[in-house]
Formats: sequence, structure tokens, C-alpha cells
Amino acid sequence: MKQSTSLRAFLGKRSTQWTGILVVLIFAVTLPLYANIYVIGVAWNALFYMLLALGCNVIVGYAGLCDLGYSSKVAIGAYTTAILMKTFGWNFWATLPVSILASAIIACLVGMPTLRLRGDYLAIVTLGFSEIIRLVARNLNVTGSASGISGIKSPVIFGVKFSTPWMQYFIFLILVIIFIFVSLRLKRSRFGRALEYMREDEDAARAMGVNVPRFKLLAFVIGSVMGGLAGSFYAVKMGSFSPSYVTFTESAYILLIVVLGGMGKTPGMLLGATLFIVLQEIFRNVGNSRMLIFGILLVLIMIFRPQGIWPDKRPSFLPSRRERKQLSERTETHGTG
Amino acid sequence: MALVEVDHLTVRFGGLTAINDLSFTTEEGSITALIGPNGAGKTTAFNCLTGFYKPTEGDVRFDGKSLAPLKPHEITALGIIRTFQNVRLFKRMSVMENVMSGPHSITKQSVFGALFHGPAQKKEEAFIRQTALESMEFAGIADLGDSIAQDLPYGLQRRVELARAIAAKPRLMLLDEPAAGLNDAEKEELMALIRRCRDELGITVFLIEHDMDMIMNLAEKIVVISFGSKIAEGTPDEVKNDSVVIEAYLGSEDEPA
Ligand SMILES: Nc1ncnc2c1ncn2[C@@H]1O[C@H](COP(=O)(O)OP(=O)(O)OP(=O)(O)O)[C@@H](O)[C@H]1O
Ligand SMILES: [Mg+2]
Repeated sequence: MKQSTSLRAFLGKRSTQWTGILVVLIFAVTLPLYANIYVIGVAWNALFYMLLALGCNVIVGYAGLCDLGYSSKVAIGAYTTAILMKTFGWNFWATLPVSILASAIIACLVGMPTLRLRGDYLAIVTLGFSEIIRLVARNLNVTGSASGISGIKSPVIFGVKFSTPWMQYFIFLILVIIFIFVSLRLKRSRFGRALEYMREDEDAARAMGVNVPRFKLLAFVIGSVMGGLAGSFYAVKMGSFSPSYVTFTESAYILLIVVLGGMGKTPGMLLGATLFIVLQEIFRNVGNSRMLIFGILLVLIMIFRPQGIWPDKRPSFLPSRRERKQLSERTETHGTG
Repeated sequence: MALVEVDHLTVRFGGLTAINDLSFTTEEGSITALIGPNGAGKTTAFNCLTGFYKPTEGDVRFDGKSLAPLKPHEITALGIIRTFQNVRLFKRMSVMENVMSGPHSITKQSVFGALFHGPAQKKEEAFIRQTALESMEFAGIADLGDSIAQDLPYGLQRRVELARAIAAKPRLMLLDEPAAGLNDAEKEELMALIRRCRDELGITVFLIEHDMDMIMNLAEKIVVISFGSKIAEGTPDEVKNDSVVIEAYLGSEDEPA
């Protein structure tokens, strides 16, 4: 009884927002009950792009860096897991810390020299680095050369094989929820604020004591690790991974979702990814002119709504009701006393 | 010992000498003004004190420590905070968020704190909020926390910038033309606020200003530079009657203030 009243009070405050979240969550969790294999497959794909968009958003949206090679981050995680499982017979879960570490180290190596420089050197470097990853993967034996690595064994989770479509769907759903949680926590913190200061006015941020290269690097590493983790799960989901995944087109799609959804806005990433996948399914038969459609879409967004499709929201940090009350009490005592 | 020591400072940009062999000191707890005609090199001097520019020759010291090898964020961490000649707020963020950037330099939670929300992180976040609210109250903008910075009138933006600086709990505040663009009433309020920063918070103030009334009222010591060189230094009365200063000002400005 007591609980339900407090719940109602809680929901009353931001009822629309919470109802929205609840509806989406219920829909997402129950989807496998009534959807067919095709729909679950498409939904899984949307979840995968949500992961990529959320990770890329930390780099592009939060830190305001231009990354043109996000697909190579996915590849680093995917190859790490694939090689450790296939060549060394590791358990899937044991590969994840290595995947995180590899992604972080490589991001440091790429980011450290580049992020000290001003301007968009990072765009060129990430683009070039992505090309290097593809060429290296094509030419090394350990990465299976051009045909890549296949026959990656599917892990068993809670006694259920990961290869069943609904299990894949659920694991990726959980991952998306974790990524959302990470994104929101990062944003609502001293770290997240520092990134926002930096994006708003880099000189003013430096004057306030923000170590700009360091915070850029941290954001770049976090975004890369998120991409790597998505890649590790992608590798076991597909059972194979090849250099053909690492293309500029793929990176551009991810960037498109981030810009389309609204840089820095977490719900925008989810909506952007969903929209992207739905459009891709609708225009499946148009073949390569799909690219044209996405290009036109991007141009239209840039003209009519450069801040992305998700609506603008209030700033993250405002005086709380309690703080406001304390303040008015204090000014009152000042006034009368 | 002087808090700030500018010691034979020279700054060149290619062939242009913006500051030429400049030396002066600022005492702890004082209000000092740096004045001079447009292009004299005042902002350049501030940029050297905050790590934005590097001295070509000479040195700048704070509390005996050389600032020349330090980066801006390292200098801020020592307790030096600056404002900009043309207000530089985080335009699309709330006033609260702007002022919360003040305590950035005196706190240290980073990625892990953000992700795991431990007790240390919560305590620090509460400290940041508290400090921001106190500074806003001190600067008389306590009720503006919800406003978006760029929506405020110019005079209030100046105040937000000052509140942001105060929230850093600095030892030294460098204010680059804080009264530029303000009307007389706003100027009066600003002067009172700057004086309270020194008297109540013990912050040493070093400011660049063109407004002579304000300088004469506020500063205890004035350093005058022209074309990068110091031409006079002393109390307001000494400087006011200095023939070289009068000449430099009359020679460069058509209308006396
Ligand atoms: N980054 C830079 N590159 C080249 N020249 C510069 C640079 N910064 C300043 N200068 C030059 O140095 C000289 C001094 O400039 P500074 O901004 O310090 O003057 P100021 O005394 O602050 O003038 P004002 O009263 O107009 O603000 C000017 O001639 C300016 O053009
Ligand atoms: Mg100037």
C-alpha cells in the first residue's frame, strides 16, 4: 500500500518520461514472445548499432572529437576475442578483459600523439588507422588473412547456447542497457561536465583547470573500449569475423547515427540506430543507392535540425529543490535580521 | 615576498615585440591594476601568467614558483584563475553548470568515480554543488542557477564569469577588463564585489581596466605599460600626475575618459 503511493508520487513527477522508458523496456523485453525470427534478427541488428552509436557518442558527442574510423575499434575487440578463442582455446568470457585492454592500449597509442594537437587531426588519423587495421588484418596469418576467422564457438550462457536468436537478442539488450547506464553516469559527473565545458569553449575550459588533452584521451579510450566490447560479442554472435567489416562505409554509418540521433544525447542514439536499421530494411532492395538515400537524409538533417532528431532537453545540472529552499531561507533571515 | 613576480618578461610574436623587458610585483592581498593604451600588451601579460602564452625571455613567478614551464590547468591548480576580456562562458549550459566549473581545479574524481559513484565521488559532487551555490550567492546571482548562460544580459554574464572564478577558491584572480560594456550602476556593483573578494575571501586581485574612475577607486597599486614597456608604477595618485602617463594616454586616445 505504502509502496504504491510513493511509487505514484515518484511517477507523478516525471511521469511522462518514466512511462516512456517503461513502455519501451516492456516492449523490448517481450518482443521475442510475439516476433518472428526475421523481426528478432532486425531487432538484434538495431541493438548492435545502438551499442556502436553509444560508444561512438562518447568520442564524437561527449568529447566533440571527429572519429572517422569507428569500425576499426569494433574490429580490435572482435579479432582479440576470435583469436583467443580459436587459436588459444580460451573461454569467451575470459577474452573480454583482454579485449578491453587491447582496445584501451591501442586507443592510447593512436590518441596520445594526436589529441595534443589542435584541430581535427584526429579525423585524418582515425581514418588512416582504420585503413591500417584492415590491411594488417588482411595480411596476417593470425587474423586469417582476407577470409578472416570463422568457426568461432558459441558460448553457453545459463545453460542456453548463445547461438539461439532470442538469446542473442537478450544478451545484446542487456549490453545496451549497460552501455546506456555507463553513458548516463559519465555524462552526469565531473568528468562529463569537463567534456562539455571543453566542447563549449576549449580555452575557457583550460582556464578553469581542465586538462584538455587528458580528458580527450580518456573519452577516446572509453569510446574505443565500448566499441571493442561490442566487437567481441559481435564475433561470437556471427561465429566469424573478416577484414571486410572494417570499411569507411561502416564507420560513416555509425557516425551518421550519432549525428542523426543528436550528438551527446543518449536516447537520440537509440532512436537513431532504430531509424537507421528500419530504413535499411525498407530500402533493402534498392541496393547501393541506399547510400544515396542516407546521404540525402544526412544533408536534410544538417539543414533542418543540426542538433539531431532527439528533442533538446534541460541542462543536466540545476539547483535542486532542496538547495533552492535552503537559499531562500538564508536570504529571508538576511532580510529580516 | 611578493605573490606575483614578473621578471624581465619579453614576449615576441615573430617580429612583433608585444612585451618588452617588463618587471613588476604584486603583493599578496592587494588589488593591483595593469593599465595602458590599446595593444599595449596587457592581455599578453595575463596570458603569460596563465600559461596560454610562453615568455620569450624572462620569467613569471607565483609564490616564488616559475610559471613558464606550466600548462594552463597546472597553473589553475596552483590557485590562479582568470576571466577573459570578452566574456567566455559555456554558452549553452546553465549558470549552475558554469559556476560548477570553478571547483574543477580543486577536485579530482574522474572516470571511475563517475561510473561507480562511490562515497568519495558523492562527497566531492556535493562539495562542488555547495561551492557553486555559495559563489553564486556571493556574486548576487543565486536565483539564476536555472538560466542558460547565453540568454542572460551582458552585465549578468560578467557576474557569472566572476562567480565561476570565485568558485575555484583561488589565491589570485586575474580580471581582464571586467567592467567593459557595463553601465555605471553595474560598474559600482562590480567594484563592490571585487572589493569583497579581497576583503572577505582574501583573494589577491590583479586587473586590467580602461575605466579610470574604477581604477582610481579600486586599485592600491597601478602598473602602466605602453608598447610593451612599463612607463610608470605606483599609487593611483602618483600615476595620475605622472607626465609620461598623461602623454601616453593623450597621445593614443582622442577622448580623455
Ligand atoms: N597570438 C598573437 N599573435 C600575434 N600577435 C599577437 C598575439 N596576441 C597579441 N598579439 C599582439 O600583441 C600586441 C599586444 O596585444 P594585447 O592583446 O596584449 O594588447 P592589450 O594591451 O590587451 O590591448 P587591448 O586594450 O586592446 O585589449 C598587439 O599588437 C597584438 O596584436
Ligand atoms: Mg586586452
